Amino acid sequence: MYRLKYCLVFLFISFTSFGQDEGFSSQPQKRGEYGWVLYVSGGAGYYLSNRGAPDYLERKISNLSHVSNIRIMWHPDHLLKVGLETGHMTFYSYRFKDSTGLSGKAKLYAIPVLIEWTMAVTKRLNLFAGSGVYFLRTTLDYQGRTVSPKLSIGWMAAGSYIHPLSENVGLGTEVKWMEAAETNNGIVSLQLQLVWKFLKW
Amino acid sequence: MKQVLYILCCCLFFFSCRREFTVTLPDTNWDIFNSASAKPFAGFTRSKMEGVYTLEAGSQDFGPSTAAKWSYTANGLDTVYHLSFFLERASAYFICEGRQLDSAILLNGYWRRMTTTETGKVRLTIAKGSGGKQLLSTSSFNPLTDSIVITGVYSNGDNNPDLPIRMRYIKPLNKAKPFQILAHRGGGRSADLLPASENSVEMIRLASQFGATGIEIDVRLTKDGVPILFHDATLNERVSQQNGLLGPIENYTYAQLSTLVRLPNGERIPTLQQALQTVIYNTPLQFVWMDTKVHGSLEFLRNIHAEYLAKAAAINRNVEIVIGIPDEEVLKNFKLLANYQTIPSLVELKAQDVRDINAKVWAPQWTLGLQDQETSLMASEGRRVFTWTLDVAENVEEYMRKGNFNGILSNYPSIVAYYYYVSP
Repeated sequence: MYRLKYCLVFLFISFTSFGQDEGFSSQPQKRGEYGWVLYVSGGAGYYLSNRGAPDYLERKISNLSHVSNIRIMWHPDHLLKVGLETGHMTFYSYRFKDSTGLSGKAKLYAIPVLIEWTMAVTKRLNLFAGSGVYFLRTTLDYQGRTVSPKLSIGWMAAGSYIHPLSENVGLGTEVKWMEAAETNNGIVSLQLQLVWKFLKW
Repeated sequence: MKQVLYILCCCLFFFSCRREFTVTLPDTNWDIFNSASAKPFAGFTRSKMEGVYTLEAGSQDFGPSTAAKWSYTANGLDTVYHLSFFLERASAYFICEGRQLDSAILLNGYWRRMTTTETGKVRLTIAKGSGGKQLLSTSSFNPLTDSIVITGVYSNGDNNPDLPIRMRYIKPLNKAKPFQILAHRGGGRSADLLPASENSVEMIRLASQFGATGIEIDVRLTKDGVPILFHDATLNERVSQQNGLLGPIENYTYAQLSTLVRLPNGERIPTLQQALQTVIYNTPLQFVWMDTKVHGSLEFLRNIHAEYLAKAAAINRNVEIVIGIPDEEVLKNFKLLANYQTIPSLVELKAQDVRDINAKVWAPQWTLGLQDQETSLMASEGRRVFTWTLDVAENVEEYMRKGNFNGILSNYPSIVAYYYYVSP
């Protein structure tokens, strides 16, 4: 957990020193300008624990998985913005063999629905934080198939750097931490992000 | 301004980790106790040692008095006896094993305070001239003329024990009125960092050491219809180790749970049959309250109930097992059983529901008060009243002194045991 924290703090400080260009920016350009911005992102996530599977079994844990998110934010003419995020993420999965040699596979994934707040620290660098619910689901293939849902509260925090492609479109990268209370540990993900200000007035 | 924001963000990252509490029981190895010359003593010695003792030293940590009571754990032909001291201050207890060395008695074990993570070693001695000789002889013990003085040392944690303790026998244990000291979740909660997990076979084996005369266990059904012990409706990290399995426990088969789920201290989830088997064959427990958390027919529960009552009777074990009825749905399903009025049951609902199904026990929540009128009525009808779940020492003392209950369910049975056994 501490490794993640050092990593995020390092990235956060590093990004603040990047140069400032013209084009898409999350910072308000002038008073009275409002807009809606869509963020679509996908990438890889890493579950921050190896405790996810029973250690008395012969097992192979897969901590690395795909993460994809879609987020819509209201951009008013001040620094703080609010919006909603959802997506699909796999926390982790593992294959195992029991004492009789019978194998199985378990997977824990989630669809988060989060209310988020964001603030542009510089023209290109943005911070996000949010909380809400994670629709968790376990799938287990071992002596039959079981699919079991559970609702959990959860959180996220992220930092992104967005490079402008045009006045309304940007391409960025986002480092994100997501955690549901029921999963005990969260995942950190690195995602490529397409940003589109699809409506403004 | 930005710098302040950066510092605040950094502080949030670095100081937001949860603190994890643990209790590691001390190493109780005591050379003289484990030596070949230290031997087990007879049952009559154990009986004579039971009683209420006043603390002449050590009262600053454990209070003014203690109730000492033996219990056992049977493993086939091997039976281990433990002497538990239930103490007044901060829900503390000692759990010791005993041996005799010549004409002295040695007691070796640990102490634990339930409301904190504090624990330590306890090494006690009853010297030949302080009651040891009297206790080890076959002659009867006269509390008016004979005296027992237990002296020894205790420690904080794994330190060398050097804090003095001294206890003097003052009277026998109160057993005037039959009373059930019921331990919640098979003996205690996992959250209290006990040596075993809640609702496990291992916890049931410990329950009587904590002072329980009976247990409450939570019965659920797996997807394939196996009755198991599990408190929560869903799998989660409070009650099981992390394994990626979440959601209602009824979604999983017993084979899946048995292979992949371990309780916080590493135990398997037990079946109801394993739990009842343990109660009957391995412990001195006298009462089992099966808290029914099952949707649908209770036919299976009635059959298991009858089977294990017969097993207890076959070995002359006086064990009372009741089907707990916590809500209207279970009550409705209970009434669908043939001859339900003859099945021993315990009802947590209204007093009238108790009469409707001819339940043996009414179990109102403690927050409903002392219920003097209703408890008297129940007594006149030949029923008993157990209240739940009393965990605060002051409340236990008040309900014991003013109330007319026949039993108390608690997460801390040692508190109930203390107030019951020391009461006049």
